[in-house]
Formats: sequence, structure tokens, C-alpha cells
Amino acid sequence: MDEHQELVNVKAVCRRFSLDDGQARHVGHSFVNALDHISLRVAPGEFLAISGPSGSGKSTLLNLIGCIDKPSEGSIHVDGVDTSTLKPASMSALRRERIGFVFQTFNLIPVFTAEENVEYPLLIQGVGARERRKRVAEALESVGLSARSHSRPDLLSGGERQRVAVARAIVHRPALVLADEPTANLDTKNATQLIGLMRDLNLRLGLTFIFSTHDARLLEHTPRIVRLCDGQIESDTHPEGGSNG
Amino acid sequence: MGKFLLLAFRNVFRNRRRTLMTLLMVGGGVAGLLLVGGFFAFMFRGLRESTINNGLGHLQIFTAEHFNRDEVRVLDTGIDNWRQVAATVKTGGHVRGVAPRIEFYGMLSNGVKSSVFMGSAVDPEAETSLGFSTRLASGRDLSSKPGGEVEALIGAGVARSMNVKVGDGLTLLAVTSDGALNGIDVQIVGIVKTGFKEMDDRYLRITLPSAQRLLQSDRVTNLVVGLDKTENTDMVAAQLAPQLGGLPQKMVLKKWIDLAAYYKQVHTLFSAIFIFLGVIVFFMVLMSSVNTLLMAMFERTREIGTMLAMGTPRIWIVALFMLEATLTGILGAIVGVVGGNLLGALLNVSGLHMPPPPGNTVDMPFRVLHEPGLMIGASILVIVSLALASILPAIRASRLEIAEALAHV
Repeated sequence: MDEHQELVNVKAVCRRFSLDDGQARHVGHSFVNALDHISLRVAPGEFLAISGPSGSGKSTLLNLIGCIDKPSEGSIHVDGVDTSTLKPASMSALRRERIGFVFQTFNLIPVFTAEENVEYPLLIQGVGARERRKRVAEALESVGLSARSHSRPDLLSGGERQRVAVARAIVHRPALVLADEPTANLDTKNATQLIGLMRDLNLRLGLTFIFSTHDARLLEHTPRIVRLCDGQIESDTHPEGGSNG
Repeated sequence: MGKFLLLAFRNVFRNRRRTLMTLLMVGGGVAGLLLVGGFFAFMFRGLRESTINNGLGHLQIFTAEHFNRDEVRVLDTGIDNWRQVAATVKTGGHVRGVAPRIEFYGMLSNGVKSSVFMGSAVDPEAETSLGFSTRLASGRDLSSKPGGEVEALIGAGVARSMNVKVGDGLTLLAVTSDGALNGIDVQIVGIVKTGFKEMDDRYLRITLPSAQRLLQSDRVTNLVVGLDKTENTDMVAAQLAPQLGGLPQKMVLKKWIDLAAYYKQVHTLFSAIFIFLGVIVFFMVLMSSVNTLLMAMFERTREIGTMLAMGTPRIWIVALFMLEATLTGILGAIVGVVGGNLLGALLNVSGLHMPPPPGNTVDMPFRVLHEPGLMIGASILVIVSLALASILPAIRASRLEIAEALAHV
């Protein structure tokens, strides 16, 4: 992959977490390696799944790519920016403008309606009211929830909530959407539909998606799958077009 | 900004039971301050009006030299052409009347025993027209048109120490303007209880012509001005000052508050008590609100983490928490102002009475005044208290580690 074409470039990244004294005595060392010299490149428009068992480092990797956390070693470039050199305020701005997030537990603001939740990323970007209304309507339309725009999250089903979360993640037209176990709280039908929706948005709008899952059934139509195990990349496969791994 | 305010407003009501408790606590604090402050305001007003109506008047006029006077020859520094000065003052708006006075000192004797007195000579008609009253324990007030005898009112303490009663005679001795000792015989027509023992032990009141005869002078020491309303005092004083400046004798105008030492002492004492209560309410609201807001922050850890993950500036989180607390303070203040005024109105119609204050024998009615200044002050107090209480939780929320906050259960 040409370095100029890449959206994400993870270079030899390690992430170590310190253990408290009790844990350190128990395991015999003072830290745990959540990620161990990981390197990964993602091109714009890719639809990439990170799979692996619990504790393999999926969430840690997504947190690092999403500028929520900083690597202990190595560097990460997102959209051409070396995130390891950024100050907190710049990291916050990068997240606000270039990245969309979908969380396992939906994480919608409970006192806001679906429409207001989707509007939130535009609000913190300072987008004008008219433009906000237009983009929110488009985003809700694209996830098929226009009819539920005035409902509060507690009145929506799990699948609907996660679709609102997807609309919120794409409404500000980010370069990258990160979804950490987005289907973990959904039944199989809703999970399959959600992955289908994300893939559709990926193909239709050219949005780059990186999502994590430990459910192998959801990976059937995923063009690229990175498998993690014990903080290392076990394989990087392109089921629809060859392997890098 | 509108959406941000909406978010804060909705967050205030997301835990209704907790919000209700907070509003009751804040509202209770405000209502308590309004009831206590309203009662104090009623007491102050009552004390102010009784101080004025007991003879102090709203304004008093003295010569400039009066304050450096010789206390034996008081009329040396008295007002010369006081009738002209009184006529000038009466032409002003809001003036109900002017009463001339001579404040003097001397000795009184019943032939067996002597004692010093603090005398006050008045024009009974002018005093009555201004509504000034004397607290008679027995007998009657001075007559405006006395017969042959010179009438006098004496304090209960004087009567006791001199062993005299209504109808008995006394001799008054004082130094005239020329420095000579002069005396007149008076007949006691009434005995007065002022409520202050020190005053009752020295009190003497006679008519103005009697005092002028005793002191051998046409002058008076001061003019007491009564107004239609106490609230007009400052305005009338400002109007009179230039008029008095044009007189041949240099005059000084004193407002009632400058002369009411007892009122000022009481006001200062009760104001200090009220401020102390205000401080207690402030800290009560502050401490309990910190706890409530920290609990709210803890419950919303994942939500705050989500907002931060989406790129919300940390200062916005601080502002959101402070805004929520301020809104709670405003709502609590509204609850307190409405509740406090309703409770005050109920107490006012209930006919409650307080035990008599020192020096009085009559129960004092319990009334709560509805003071707008007090409502605004108490409201600002709790709003500021809540805003300050939110600083610590707000800063803690803004400093959450995003990854940890998102993993919070």
C-alpha cells in the first residue's frame, strides 16, 4: 500500500498497562502487554474487521487508532497526522472532526432524542442550525430511522439505538468510523443487519469502517479481517481478494 | 448554545427524586432566609417608626455650633430666629410639621431632696400634630394652653427617687443664657415610662414657654421635622439643605438615622445574626450539593467518556456541570421564593404573636414582610452556592480518562 494512500498507519505499536502491587506479585511482572509491536495500514474506503477472543487487544487497538489512548511505544498516523505528537486539545479536535465512534453499549445521551443525539457531533463542531438539520435528516434517512427521530433512546429497541449511534458516527462525514464490538448487545438478526448497514454505508458513501467483533458469523462478507491473539496480529486476510497475512 | 442549555436543563430532571430533594433543600434554605429576614425587616420597620414617633422625628435642625455647645448654657448656641426657619421648612413638600424643642439640663428639688434632670421643652400642640406620643404611666400629657401653673412630666425613676406623684410640685433650677441661676415651680401632671431605666431616672418635660422663661431666652436648641413617609427622608433632606444654607445662622440637618443610636445598635446586632444565618444556609447548600453533584458525575461517567471521545472540549464538560448546578439553584430559588412568601402570608394571617420585647409589656405581632431585596439576595446566595459546589465535580468530570470512563460499569 502506498504510504500516501493510507488513512491509518500503525507502526510497531506497543501498549502496556501497569499492574498494581497485588496483581504484579501474582503474575510475576509489573505490567501487562495489551498490544505487542503491532503494525497495520488501512486505506481510505476500507471495511475492516478486527477479530479475536476477549483480551486479545481489539478494544485497545481501536482506542489507540481513535486517539482515545496513547501507545507506550511506536506511532500511529491517522489521516496523515502523527497522533503520538499531538497535545490533548489537538487529539480532541482530530476525534471531533475526522473520526466517528460506535460503542458496544450504544452510549447515546439518554435525555436527547434520536435526532438530537445525531446532531451532537455537529453541535460541538459549531455547524450552523440549518446545515445541522439537513445533515441529521440525511444521516437518519441513511440508517432508516427518520420515523423515530423524535424518540428518546429508552423508547428505541437495541437495534434502533445502535443505528442511531451509527448515524451519529457518520453525520459529520468523518474520514474514519471506529466501532468497538457494535453487535455485542444485539441479537443475531439485528447484528447481521447492523453489519450490513455499515457495509452499505461503506460502499455507498465511501466511508472507512474499522470494527471489532469476536463473532465469526459476522465476518462472512467482510473484505478484510485482522485477527488478533494475545496482543499480536495472527493474520490479516482479504477473503474477497487475497491475503496480506 | 440553545441545545447545550437544553441538555443541561434535561439533565437536571433526569433523576427526579434527587432533583426534588435538592430543590426542597435549596428552596427550604431560601424560604428560611425569607421568613427570618422578613420578620427582622418587620421588627426594624416597627422599631424605626416607634423611634421616629416617640419624638425623634424624621429630620432635626440644629445650629452648627450646637455640637460644640456648653452643656450648662445650651441656648448660647440655639436657633435664634427659629420661627422663620420653621416657616421655611414647612413650605417644602412632604413636610407634615415642625416642632421646636429645647434640650436642657438642671436640677430639681422637692424641698427635701434634689436631683439632676435631662429636660426637654416642647410645644405640645406641635408634638401632637406630628403624632409624637409620650408613654404615660399615670396622669396626662402637657396641655397646650396651661392655666396658671407650669406643668411638667417626669420619669418614673425621678418620681420614685423624689417620692412624688401626679399633682405634687417641684422646683426646677437651671443656668440662664446670662450665666445666672434661675428657678421655676412646676406641677407634675404625668409620670412617664420610656422603657429605658437610665432615661426614666432623669426625664423631665415642660412646655417651651416655661423653659424659655427658666432659661431667659427666646431661642430653641433644635427643630424636629415630621414627614408624611419615612421613605421620603433622604429626598426632603436633599431639598432642605440648600434652603437652610441661605439663612444667616449656619444650620446642620440631621436625619433620624444619624440620631437613632439604639435603632442602629439593634439593626447592627440583628443584621449580624441574619448574616450568620445566611452563611449557615450557604455552607449547608454548598456541602450537600457537592455530594449530590459528585454522585451525578459518578453515575454519568460513561456518558461523559462518550462525549469526550466524540471530541467534546473538556471545558464544555465543566460548563455543562456548572450550568446544571446553576439551573438547579435558579429552580430552587424559585421554589424558595414562592414557598417562603406563601408561608409568610399564611403566618401573617394566622395572628401569631411573639412575647413582649425587653422594656415592653405588650406582645409583639409576628409579621413577615415580603422584601424584594431579600428575595433577590437569598436567591443569588443559593445560586452562587450551587455554582461553586459544582466546580469540583465539574473539574473531576472533565479530567476523566476517556478509555476508563467508557469501560465504567
